[in-house]
Amino acid sequence: MRRIVWLLALLPVLLALVLAAGCGGDDDDGGDAGGDTGATDTGGGGEASGEPIRIGASLPLTGDFAEPGEAARRGYEVWMEMVNESGGLLGRPVEMVIKDDQSDQNLVVTDYNALIEQDQVDLLLGTFSSLLNIPASAVAERAQMVYVEPAGGSPDMFNRGFEYLFFAQQATAPHQADLFSEWVTGLPEGERPATAAYVAADDPFGAPVAEGIQEQLEAAGVETVYSEIYPPETVNFDAIAADIAAQKPDVIAQGSAGLQDGVNLITALGAAGYSPKQMFQASTPSFADQYSDAIGVENTEGIFYAVSYHVDAPTPGNAEFLEAYRAKYDNEDPAEDAADGYAAAQVLQAAVEAVGSIDDQAALKDWLHENSVETILGELSWDETGAPEQAFLLAQWQNGDEEIVLPEDAATSDTIVNPKPPWTGR
Amino acid sequence: MTQLIQTIVLGLLLGGVYALLASGLTLIFGVMDVINVAQGALIILSAFITWAAWSETGLDPLLGVLVTTPAMFLIGFGIYMASVRWIQGKPPSTSVILTFGLALIIEGVMGMVWTATLHRATPAYFNQSFTIGDIYLRKGQVYACAIAIGVLAVLYVILRVTWLGRAIRAVSANMSSARLVGVNPSTVAALTFAVGVATAGAGGSLASVLYPFLPASHYAWISRLLGIIVLGGMGSLPGAVVGALLLGVAETMTQTYVSPQWATLVPWAVIMLVLLLRPQGLMGQKLREDVAL
Amino acid sequence: MSEAVQHRSAGATALGLVARHAAKAGVIGLLLTILVFPLISDNRYYQTIIILSLLLAVMASGWNIISGFAGYVSLGQTVFLGIGAYTTAILSLRVFGPDEFGQGGANPFYFVPLSALVAGLFAAAVGPILMRTRGHSFVILTIAFLFVMQLIVLNWTELTYGNRGLSLPLPTWPREWANLPFYYVFFGLMLLSVAMSWWIRRTKFGMGLIAIREDEDKAASVGVNTPIYKTLAFVASAIWIGAAGGVYAYYLSFIDPRNQFDIVYSVFVVLAVLLGGRGTIWGPVIGAFILEPVNQITNNDFNRWFGEGVWDANVRLIFFGALLLLVVLVLPRGIIPSLREIFTRRRESKTAAEVGARFERTPMRVVERGAQEARAAPAGPLLEIRGVSKRFGGITAVDDVSLAVERGTITALIGPNGSGKTTLFNLIDGTMEPDRGEVWFEGRRVDKLAPYRRAHLGIGRTFQITRLFREMTVLENVVAPLRSFSWRRLGADAVSGPEAERAHGLLEFVGMHRFAHHRAGALSFGQGKLVELAQILMLDPALIMLDEPAGGINPTLIGYMEEMVRELNRQGTTFLIVEHNMPLVLGLCSPVCVLARGQAICEGTPGQVQADPAVLDAYLGEDFVLEERAGVS
Repeated sequence: MRRIVWLLALLPVLLALVLAAGCGGDDDDGGDAGGDTGATDTGGGGEASGEPIRIGASLPLTGDFAEPGEAARRGYEVWMEMVNESGGLLGRPVEMVIKDDQSDQNLVVTDYNALIEQDQVDLLLGTFSSLLNIPASAVAERAQMVYVEPAGGSPDMFNRGFEYLFFAQQATAPHQADLFSEWVTGLPEGERPATAAYVAADDPFGAPVAEGIQEQLEAAGVETVYSEIYPPETVNFDAIAADIAAQKPDVIAQGSAGLQDGVNLITALGAAGYSPKQMFQASTPSFADQYSDAIGVENTEGIFYAVSYHVDAPTPGNAEFLEAYRAKYDNEDPAEDAADGYAAAQVLQAAVEAVGSIDDQAALKDWLHENSVETILGELSWDETGAPEQAFLLAQWQNGDEEIVLPEDAATSDTIVNPKPPWTGR
Repeated sequence: MTQLIQTIVLGLLLGGVYALLASGLTLIFGVMDVINVAQGALIILSAFITWAAWSETGLDPLLGVLVTTPAMFLIGFGIYMASVRWIQGKPPSTSVILTFGLALIIEGVMGMVWTATLHRATPAYFNQSFTIGDIYLRKGQVYACAIAIGVLAVLYVILRVTWLGRAIRAVSANMSSARLVGVNPSTVAALTFAVGVATAGAGGSLASVLYPFLPASHYAWISRLLGIIVLGGMGSLPGAVVGALLLGVAETMTQTYVSPQWATLVPWAVIMLVLLLRPQGLMGQKLREDVAL
Repeated sequence: MSEAVQHRSAGATALGLVARHAAKAGVIGLLLTILVFPLISDNRYYQTIIILSLLLAVMASGWNIISGFAGYVSLGQTVFLGIGAYTTAILSLRVFGPDEFGQGGANPFYFVPLSALVAGLFAAAVGPILMRTRGHSFVILTIAFLFVMQLIVLNWTELTYGNRGLSLPLPTWPREWANLPFYYVFFGLMLLSVAMSWWIRRTKFGMGLIAIREDEDKAASVGVNTPIYKTLAFVASAIWIGAAGGVYAYYLSFIDPRNQFDIVYSVFVVLAVLLGGRGTIWGPVIGAFILEPVNQITNNDFNRWFGEGVWDANVRLIFFGALLLLVVLVLPRGIIPSLREIFTRRRESKTAAEVGARFERTPMRVVERGAQEARAAPAGPLLEIRGVSKRFGGITAVDDVSLAVERGTITALIGPNGSGKTTLFNLIDGTMEPDRGEVWFEGRRVDKLAPYRRAHLGIGRTFQITRLFREMTVLENVVAPLRSFSWRRLGADAVSGPEAERAHGLLEFVGMHRFAHHRAGALSFGQGKLVELAQILMLDPALIMLDEPAGGINPTLIGYMEEMVRELNRQGTTFLIVEHNMPLVLGLCSPVCVLARGQAICEGTPGQVQADPAVLDAYLGEDFVLEERAGVS
């Protein structure tokens, strides 16, 4: 009987062997059809024209970050189509493999592992938000693959000594609002605010933005009357708004990553009947019509935010991007996150074209560390941690439109609304 | 002082709506010994239905109560017949796991129909306020609280006056004697479950005006509701009302005087403390367990 | 694998035997496959799936100890995963690292044993508190505990860096090894946790846990030290999960509070165990190796096979929600027990025939009474109740009752229904605590002692409606009582040779030895009463309290019961009997004590009691007729 047990036990092992052989067979088939994919990694082949370069990414297409995730996907796909129309990358067509991580940190890890190990993609692009990019970039770093990410400016991204990580925007979160802080502290004596309230989502991106502003304003002598972090799932801002209103601060600055937090805070402030002289929100106001519809277009007047991209930016390639984007998506204007996604792909493209091959990921990252890249966001370059070294634009809602107000050479409006008019109830 | 009063008022207005939302959960538990973890998801479902009706036809979300209450009654009845019926008398953990499964299904269906993004019904008055001196009361909250009290009053009358109410009270007091006097406990259980879900319907309509919601919001709701009924005493309707008001105030007080970060902890901390120190809650009854053995 | 199975196998059919060997082969095959898989395939995607399945198996196996064996269903088991992960991360980064967030750090593997230790200590600290509650309350408490811990870790930013999470150092081993070190460490952890489950299941400790699951108050009343058993089970369920948490943190290289303390993953663990089979050794592992691959393949491959958007977050929620429903409604016992049932059905039907067989008288045997004679007998009554009261809400069930049971007597406690007799029993054996008054036993005050302590002192008690551990065999039921608590005994075999011998002797004494290997739940009511008597005799009690020993059984059996009581009493055992069968009481007992409306109204010889007008009034004035019916129903 015992022997039979052992014989039976061997069956699954045999089955596994057959299965493994089958998988190996699959790989070989793939190789026969389109050149040896295995050899691509080691630099042997891959010259056969027509074999696509596969670029893998995972994005939060559902869940909390569904809107920006979808925008980033559009940015990637517009880039892919534009590249393929103009002769491909290194003469080969580009194929994107995009997975949905459902805004879940565990899934994003699984996704990037699957992209590298199962799909065996040639290159990687990043996901949206610091929360997801932090774990995902670790997978790429471990596999030693270049990881250009379109949105994830938390300082926690760049303090890990990663070499393959690059952030394709102008600056990290603590510097998100540098221009706003400079402008506020540079106001003439009588107009300069005396007090400020800071409120931020407990999130790797939101909190550093608010902390960055608080640090710079306190250094200039602006008194902090309220500074709180709230859980990211907060929807009830009534008590927070009532608290802030009771302190009557001149400036209110909010750090958060999504659309809703900013909308909810303004709604609650409106109900509490308090309007500050200057109001800054990290990313909410960049959601264009969704933002103005949610809080009422009259209430957007004078609200500041930092932004990486503007539709009218005179940056090289922007006109072509806009044309392709509008043609593909019903004449819509791209959201900031779509432009960021496109820019990240541009960065990767620049490195591949400069090195002339996709076989040596180390060469790609070395090139990016040593050079700067022209993108639709402007010129980007990186320090040794992969953090960008430029500055964001300061934007403001004026007459129902989004305008760049600083720096002056990029400004689309030559006035700055100050102070912000009071809320109007609807 | 103003700030303190303002905080308490905000808490009480919240608590009024919480009371309605928790009433169904405590009713179902009292009669059936089932903790309906899906109650939060049903509330969000009702909120989505209200939102859809409002955005399609402009129906005032607060009047949506008239639509969602009967609709959710039917849904509750259906859920009972299809699933909960079969686990009556099983160990308590079974009902928790089963209704958790229901909650996941409802969350998935809502995500399919309405996508997993934040929604909110925003009738004209949603960000307007009444002001009394320095205190402000949000119109939406005042109306919602008033309607919640109204629905609770109707529920109370139903429980006191109608045959169903008497049967429900009989079954929740003593299942076997209820059977002796001719009450069929499974019929009563089905109707109770349906009524309990109907209150989630009414409450969900009100909640749709108060805060934005997405399918996954049900976790936040169920934690609050569990906290309320544990605090008030599981199965006690007056206990749920008292627990709701206390928890509403405790939440806003924590947000204001401690930190918004710790406000989420309040319901869970309440659950732990009450279950460990006074398991019968504020108004629950200590039962004579030995007789049943 | 378990004792129960081994006993059953004695009567198993050839089909069952083949099935058992096939199952064993399947398990060995699965283990060998996992062991050699990386050698025959370097497909890292499958390796990832196996790694995550191993993690789930460790979680499920741990959960199974507290929830499958001991019956305390926890929906917060991921709390230990989180504690393990944060222990390793904080030690690696802050204590032995550069004390800066995210700046390298010491090799996390060093701290995995500490993660296990911290998780175990944590379980030991909170277990006794959480497990003061049962049923619904315990389930809710575990959920609350998970969220409270998550929020503490989230908000204690100085230590944990809150929602920004902690980045652990990347592995330093050669890149070609990929995740293999994680793979084999998880494999080892799974083997350890299964080995522990297996060991627990075959020891006294495991049997105590099953007894607690089946009927906790009963377990305590037969001397099982329930608080220590439960706490140890909680610790055992936590340590390997804690270790796995440490490894998982290193594997992920990034942890944050929301994903480490995740309620949905907790439910996933529950689903895995329910699917495989709760309370079995391999069920949790099998469940994990079904569930996690399904989860990964649906997530990663369905869209590739069937087109984008076929499998999104919402479909996933509906799928797993439906799976939960399906398992609870259709397969509540899980795969392994259901299969086992199919293969042993024929044997079960044979059992049913035997159960239906008429009870056979067996010659009585004098039982060896070692421990009892050794007891020094202090002067005074054996049991003394002084002014005891117990209230429930508005009802006073026991009202200032004083009563003494003299050594060597067969004392009866009679009274109408609801007069507080059973409550008084509960106060004596410790199931309930009196509001007022004292209980003295053998010259020592016991009303503050836990029930199992009173059982150790020599109080044995049966129940009005027999409470046997239904899922255990009759023999296991008789062996389960413990006369004392010792740490060493915990690890002893569940059914040791001498114990089994003694248990067989007792079963012969009550005439139930033929049923030794039958499931207790399959016995008739009267047979259950006999087994319950044998069970408490195992305690060698000085005082046996019988709650309606003649209630609901046939006259032959009543006579037999009476004979046994006399026999035991001759050998020195004192009895306190609640009974409605008046002829039996009057013939067997003296003195007789009468309770009415929670008060002791009369005590004396049967003759005195019969003559007392207050007694007649209590019975005739209330529900004397009902009483008569209750006696035979």
